[in-house]
Amino acid sequence: MLGLILLSAIFQTDTIATNTKQLDEVVVVAHSQTGKRSPKGAIASIDEHLQELNHVDLVRRGAYAWEPNVNNMQTERLSTTIDGMKIFYACTDKMDPVTSYVESSNLQNISLNSGLDGNPQATGNIGGALDLRLRKAGFDNTRYSSTITLGYEGNGHLQVYGGDATYSSHKIYANGGVFYRNADNYKAGGGREVEYSQFQKVNAFVNTGLRLSECDVTEATLIFDRASNVGYPALNMDVAKAEAFITSLSYKHLFEGKLDSWETKVYYNHITHVMDDTKRPDVEIHMDMPGKSWTAGAYSLLAATTDRHSVQFNIDGYYNRLFADMTMYPGGAAPMYMVTWPDVGTLNLGTAVTDNITLSKVSLLRLSAKLSWQNQRLNNEEGYKALNVFFPGMSRQYYQTTGRLAASYRLSTAKNQFTIGAGWGSRAPTVTEAYGYYLNNTFDQYDYIGNPRLKNENAFELNGSYKRSMFNGKYSVLVDANAFFFNNYIIGQFETRLCPMTVDAEGVKVYGNINHATIANSSITMEWNPIKKIRLTAKGSYSIGLDDEGEPLSLISPFSYSTRLTYDLGPFSLNTEVKGHTLQSKNGKKYGENKTNAWTICNLSATYVWRKTTLRAGVENLFDRYYATYTDWCHIPQKGRNLYMNISYVL
Amino acid sequence: MKKVKGLFKGFFMIIVVTVLVACSSNDDGVQAGIEIPGITITDDINCCSAEEALQVYRFLQTVKIIPELQTEIDDKYNVYAFTRTGTFHVGYNEIFFVATNKATGNYIKNFELKSITPLMYMSNMNMYHSTPIGETKLDFDDDALALKSVWVSFLMNTSEAGSWTLSYDAQVLGKQGGLDKAEITVKSLPEGQQWLKSFKIGSDTYYLSLVNPLDFQTGINTIRAYISKKNTPITTPYPLSSETFTIEIDPRMPDMDNHTSPDNIALSQQSDGSYQGSIKLTMTGLWRIHLTVRDKNGNVVAGGDTQSNGYSSLYWDVTI
Repeated sequence: MLGLILLSAIFQTDTIATNTKQLDEVVVVAHSQTGKRSPKGAIASIDEHLQELNHVDLVRRGAYAWEPNVNNMQTERLSTTIDGMKIFYACTDKMDPVTSYVESSNLQNISLNSGLDGNPQATGNIGGALDLRLRKAGFDNTRYSSTITLGYEGNGHLQVYGGDATYSSHKIYANGGVFYRNADNYKAGGGREVEYSQFQKVNAFVNTGLRLSECDVTEATLIFDRASNVGYPALNMDVAKAEAFITSLSYKHLFEGKLDSWETKVYYNHITHVMDDTKRPDVEIHMDMPGKSWTAGAYSLLAATTDRHSVQFNIDGYYNRLFADMTMYPGGAAPMYMVTWPDVGTLNLGTAVTDNITLSKVSLLRLSAKLSWQNQRLNNEEGYKALNVFFPGMSRQYYQTTGRLAASYRLSTAKNQFTIGAGWGSRAPTVTEAYGYYLNNTFDQYDYIGNPRLKNENAFELNGSYKRSMFNGKYSVLVDANAFFFNNYIIGQFETRLCPMTVDAEGVKVYGNINHATIANSSITMEWNPIKKIRLTAKGSYSIGLDDEGEPLSLISPFSYSTRLTYDLGPFSLNTEVKGHTLQSKNGKKYGENKTNAWTICNLSATYVWRKTTLRAGVENLFDRYYATYTDWCHIPQKGRNLYMNISYVL
Repeated sequence: MKKVKGLFKGFFMIIVVTVLVACSSNDDGVQAGIEIPGITITDDINCCSAEEALQVYRFLQTVKIIPELQTEIDDKYNVYAFTRTGTFHVGYNEIFFVATNKATGNYIKNFELKSITPLMYMSNMNMYHSTPIGETKLDFDDDALALKSVWVSFLMNTSEAGSWTLSYDAQVLGKQGGLDKAEITVKSLPEGQQWLKSFKIGSDTYYLSLVNPLDFQTGINTIRAYISKKNTPITTPYPLSSETFTIEIDPRMPDMDNHTSPDNIALSQQSDGSYQGSIKLTMTGLWRIHLTVRDKNGNVVAGGDTQSNGYSSLYWDVTI
């Protein structure tokens, strides 16, 4: 009987039963940071929530669908999963990072495992692994509840309307909701309108759970997400439609004894992406560039706990298809057609183990490892033949084996917390890197051609952190650093022999392995609670990234800082933030990156909770500064002064 | 040619398999015959066997008849001509011939075809001239003598200014026949297609005929061409030039800022007199293949000059 009660308690935590209806924690597992979230609350986009994380920046090509950059590495070196499900973006120009296909209201939290220590389903995660965890009502929760959220931002007339409802009992739960966002062009500092920065998005989701017996549960998820009329001021094209359909069905059994749970999930998702240049005035050649991605997969995760060990064993597999093509219409002449992603089918099978070993009351050792095997096949004849022009005799199929291994040790006492970790891991080239065909990159104005003969990239990682609390915990300081030493680092290399396809492009780059590269990140965070109601946080971080010749890589953060003062008066709280970065002097000149100037902005926000209503208001970029960060693609400016207000009401 | 040969062998295999299957499923032990529409197989040794006839028949399904070039010999035989499209166009055209026994419809195993002469009459100048044609050895395939082929590269299209005729002699099982100045229509090529170009060395005129460019696909392609020399008198068909050249190619996309592809290989002379090289096409659309023709000493004899845009003014246009 006692066992059963304990089990149901486990169920609750397992299905992430929670009373709060917001995306209330953005968790960095490896660094134990909890409770981080955007001051905008429920209406904040996933991108805005992600910004709160340490060593996370977002590459912005417009006002929508930002690309997460973790430890100064982009999508190629990260893993992004939705509740352990693999999903791959469908745009050859990275207009649709997979984080853009979910909405904050879909999520409970986002976990980030920095570096090579990823969640069990993650593959190819050298820089880090993001897992977007879906919000499920859970069993034995508040029987009925629903929330309405409304938000408005002055700059760009962003409107947000959201509503969701929950039902929960011991036997069954269901929750779902609808979210809509619509924005016009925003204005940069000084009132300058940024053209083609509008967007519109609709998202709907349903999560359900059914308790088959006291120890058996089945759960299902369905998410539909559709963005339309999305402008990309940093690119030459916009998006007519970006649509995702995400489903999963899982079965979970709970055990008594040493085994905790065994979860098996099957999933399917597909993405359709359609670019659009018809709204641009000075298009030399009109182009159609659709892309398609679908993924079907499964994983099975077994968790067990003993006195000292907490072990997770996972096997997973997925099959992904990626196809993109391009048709150009020169006025009057015959259309020109090419396949830009040759319908690549990727079959990936992997097995992963993690173990958290309690060595003593104060020390913990965490080990994680994954081994994956992958087969890739080019299913499109025309695309395959086209790549043959550059790689005569290339194969139709490729096989890769990748793996990762990470260990970290933590020693925590009342006043000191110390971690040290190391890892090694490899990743297979992405479809763009291996088989991409004349993909124009507006960042450096080069056309990129994939290289099917790339070697796997691998990296050795070292990381460590030290946190010390002082004055009865009123003051703490955290220093952390990591360094990645790459071998066979994959990067676009000049190929002067080739002629670009895109009119006005500078030239052609073909992906290649360079012998080695290094990326290192460090940060210091100080927190001061002089009195209970006031919290002052100051953070500074600095990174370097160098290629094999000691030249700076692009998109590496200069010294950046933020300070935040929070004043908490029970239902009312006030937040002041100053953030910025210094001049980016170590820009990747060799890779076509221009310097980014220093900037500083100031944000204010306030929250008021009254009974069932939460009211938030604030102003971003208070002094209306005109600025761009180092991750703003082609230096498109950030928003100028932006007043926002949102209200959420629990019925 | 080799491809077609391979095809034939493929068909043959299919027939054999079909026959075997048919045999094994037949209880009364009678061999099932191959049925070809309009053809009766007899034991006439001058005609094709069932297997041979089927090969020819299958091939003829892939081409279309040119009714103007059909003729009857000795009331016993028919000669038919075919092209890929059932029409003629400016530039390189392959013409296929078969002779059939009128009674059985079966193909004559071997016949002769000679003196193929295309002739243009230019009414406003009241003059005649011929055009480049291929070698006179007409056996399409050594294993399939029932099919003959020849290529003709028409210099211009039929218009009010001029009209084309084609003559040939045929000898089927000792009987003479043929056609004298059968009128044919040669169509102009659509925009974005220019497959025949000429150049001059001294007073001699040479023609560059590009072979079947519509077979090109995105990727690596074999590019074939012929160089013919204007004959005297000009009413006799223009034969292949006896000199040796190389044709350097520089494929460009004029609609894409003269985008090009790497590793194109110049056309060099083959033992059969044709020129062969390799062309890489990175996408579909209009490709302008700029040409530089060199003699055997490497001297530029045609093209290779630079227009205002920096490319040779001698070029073929191919839109795929």
